[in-house]
Amino acid sequence: MIPLAHFLIVGACLFAAGLYAVLARRNAILVLVGIELMINASILNLVAFGRYDKTLYGGQVFALFAIVLAAAAVAVALAIILNVYKFHKSVNPEDIKNLKD
Amino acid sequence: MDQIPGRKGGGQKELMSMTALLFYGFATVAIASAWLLVSIRNIARSLFLFFIVLFSVAGLYVFALADFVAITQILVYVGGVLVLMLFAFMLSNKELLKDLQVGVSHFFALPAWQSAVIAASFLAVLIYTSLQLGAEEPSWISASREKDTVITPTDQTIQHIGVQLMTRYLLPFEIVSVLLMAALIGAAHLTRKEAKP
Amino acid sequence: MPATALTYPLLAALSAVLLPFLGFLLSAALGKKAGNGAIAISAISLSLLAAGYAFSQVWNQEPIHVQWNWFTVGSQEFHVGLMLDNMAVLMLVLVCLIALPVHIYSAAYMKGDPGIHRYWTYLSLFCFAMLGLVVADNLLLMYVCWELVGFASYLLIGFWFTKDAAVQANKKAFIVNRIGDLGFLIGIALTYSHLGTLDTQALVAAPETLPAPWLTVAGLAFFLGAMAKSAQFPLHVWLPDAMEGPTSVSSLIHAATMVAAGVFLLARIFPVFNETVLLVIAATGAITALVAAYFALTQFDIKKILAFSTISQLGFMMVGIGIGMYPVALFHLSTHAFFKCLLFLCAGAVIHEMQHIKETHGLAIDPQDIRNMGGLRKHMPLTFAAMLIASLALAGFPFTSGYLSKDALIVHSFEWAALQPGAAKLIPYVLALVSMLTSFYILRLLAKVFFGSFSVTSANGTLRPHEAPAKMLVPMLFLAGCSLFPLFSIHPLNDGHVWLMQGLTTTVSTLPPLRMLHLVIPLLTASATCIAATVAWHWYVNGRYPLKTTGLFYRLSQNQGYLDTLYDATVVRPILRLSRLLLWADHYIVDRAVNGLAALGRSFATTAAWIDQRLVDGLVRLVGKLAWGLGNVFRRLQTGRVQHYFTTLFLLILVILLYHIVVLL
Repeated sequence: MIPLAHFLIVGACLFAAGLYAVLARRNAILVLVGIELMINASILNLVAFGRYDKTLYGGQVFALFAIVLAAAAVAVALAIILNVYKFHKSVNPEDIKNLKD
Repeated sequence: MDQIPGRKGGGQKELMSMTALLFYGFATVAIASAWLLVSIRNIARSLFLFFIVLFSVAGLYVFALADFVAITQILVYVGGVLVLMLFAFMLSNKELLKDLQVGVSHFFALPAWQSAVIAASFLAVLIYTSLQLGAEEPSWISASREKDTVITPTDQTIQHIGVQLMTRYLLPFEIVSVLLMAALIGAAHLTRKEAKP
Repeated sequence: MPATALTYPLLAALSAVLLPFLGFLLSAALGKKAGNGAIAISAISLSLLAAGYAFSQVWNQEPIHVQWNWFTVGSQEFHVGLMLDNMAVLMLVLVCLIALPVHIYSAAYMKGDPGIHRYWTYLSLFCFAMLGLVVADNLLLMYVCWELVGFASYLLIGFWFTKDAAVQANKKAFIVNRIGDLGFLIGIALTYSHLGTLDTQALVAAPETLPAPWLTVAGLAFFLGAMAKSAQFPLHVWLPDAMEGPTSVSSLIHAATMVAAGVFLLARIFPVFNETVLLVIAATGAITALVAAYFALTQFDIKKILAFSTISQLGFMMVGIGIGMYPVALFHLSTHAFFKCLLFLCAGAVIHEMQHIKETHGLAIDPQDIRNMGGLRKHMPLTFAAMLIASLALAGFPFTSGYLSKDALIVHSFEWAALQPGAAKLIPYVLALVSMLTSFYILRLLAKVFFGSFSVTSANGTLRPHEAPAKMLVPMLFLAGCSLFPLFSIHPLNDGHVWLMQGLTTTVSTLPPLRMLHLVIPLLTASATCIAATVAWHWYVNGRYPLKTTGLFYRLSQNQGYLDTLYDATVVRPILRLSRLLLWADHYIVDRAVNGLAALGRSFATTAAWIDQRLVDGLVRLVGKLAWGLGNVFRRLQTGRVQHYFTTLFLLILVILLYHIVVLL
């Protein structure tokens, strides 16, 4: 059907986009979105490889777990972002530099 | 896929190309949305584009014969995570809407070149590896092809996933539930309002 | 043969020498408490007894010679030992016999002096050294005692060290004696290098071991030593200045004993001297006698007159040695000791009284100036009597001991001159002239001091000098008794019966006698004395002094021949200039060199410090700065911004992946 490589390439593109968002965007929420994109890319990979695993269904089960974990991560991350905003009055990761040497 | 009657054309060749076409369509939408979402300045639009990305990726899951995962993706990700983010974003202070890109005034946020370079390099590396993988399959994939343990479209994945979840992957299942509880409590605690002394 | 066994005479001699040393130690240890002099006087009395016993045992007996090992240098042994022969025991008794009266006299003369405990200490030291000198059997021991005697003399001349003149005098005495000691040392060195031993007996037994030129040199060297010690011309200049010391010291040391040490040395090693040296000795002695008598004619200080008289008589003794008749010299030494000591003691009594008058009446007179004295015959009759006897002995008047010794000397010198060629024939005539001058100056002294009238007056009216106290008179009268002939000879006028000379002349070759002279010379000297007495009376007592006091000869005599000025200009000043030059050199050259070296060292140190500070420390600090800089660079990575951390992280992962792809696959 669809060759494995194509799935992987799509996943790679998504991952790259997410990576760029994490590294370059100045809003914490967009950083979070970037993280989510990367997680999605990895889930895509899991699922793509999981097609060849009928005995254990490992890829698909782990994809499920990954989705759940991503959801939990988002929830907690948003809570943290809100708290950070309350304290620093900014969501720009550039402004949070208390740990600067 | 073979047994679905083709509408637009006939023949297997067309059917195959239809699947491929759909796949590439979904893929394009997903990739384009993803790249767009990381580029524009408006966060609200970014989140909606994210919404599109998630749906497209769910469609891609279907093509990978992981229908349950696709449904779960729509249910949890779109219905839960995205809604959460939208709520958090919309119902919060105006400050959060700002995206501070220094010296930029138009629609697109100029990419910081170091990050773009790194991302592009990663992309290149990953594509290269994928092509390598496509060129010569890993041994376990070839072995599973021979043993005929490849998932077919006619498999009842849900049943199998359910069985595996309750037997083989029980421990991770339980731990994940505990983790969810912890996340719930943690998030609730983090965002509670402090009682004024 | 040198033996090491102790016999009674030896023990006696040893105790005679060591008792004063014990006295010295005790007095020094007791310090101020030894003021009454009992220790010193008892020590010297015991010494006299011991010496007397030794004399009785050794005189005209077998000589006793003992040696003990003193120290060893390499393979050469040096001994300390005693040689008791006639000469030694004679001198032993003589020194003790003179010292005892002087000690008793000092008790009265120095009474009330604040430093009297030092006086007894130094006096005991001197006695010990002098007695040690006369019994020493080797030249090294003799030299040690010689130096000690000189040192004791230095201490005693400068006894009143608060007086500048005394300090200058004792310095002068010591320095001039040093010149002589150099000669003595040269003699010792020559003896040792040729003989291999310093034993005097070995030296007198074999003087020909020294080759001819060295023998002369050695003889002259020893004579140089004696010259300084016995105040021969031109090294006599210290003796008049030595009169700054107390008069009792002058009487003991600078009249009787220490100055005789030179004569004794020459007598001890007499066989060493060959013809040339003996001639030099005789000539020097004659010149000394003449010059000193000439200077004595015009002096006004009573002690200076006596000092020059001493020098003159020492010249006589040297002539005695020079003509080869050292027993006669020693005889004259013995008689001179008695009457010269007496002369000084009497002078001391007079000075003591003058001092007393000066203090009670607050006058500003010099108590030693004979122009302030006069007519003391009436006030101090016993002193006058003693002094008269001593003066007559000095002049060589018959019935005194001085007559015997002096005339013997003059006669023998004529006998000797008869055998000599050339200018040596003048020597006896010089001696005769000196005799006459001697009579004159001593009678001048008597006239001015004891005759006439007492010239010092004071506002309170006439002054009455008193007779000397008993403690001073008794020793003086004892010495006066010894100055007369009975001590030395039964026959008052003939020197052939002198037991002293008979004891000493066993080893001396006799000169062919000229019988005539034995009559002529005494007559000549006696008549000269009478004439001199008349002239002196006429000039000084009656006040008819005919000569100008400003003439050249008068001034030459009074200023002691300007010798002191000469020495000052030729020796002292150049040496001072040299020392100033050396001081300048030391300051400007040596000190500059040292400072320059120090500065060089300092500059090295500064350079080293600079190197250490800039280079070494700089290197260390460079390393530190490097570390800091490197750390600073990496510090910048910690921006505190999450996205930067992510960037770094993904960059590294990328690099790893690329590495794996590019390099490994």
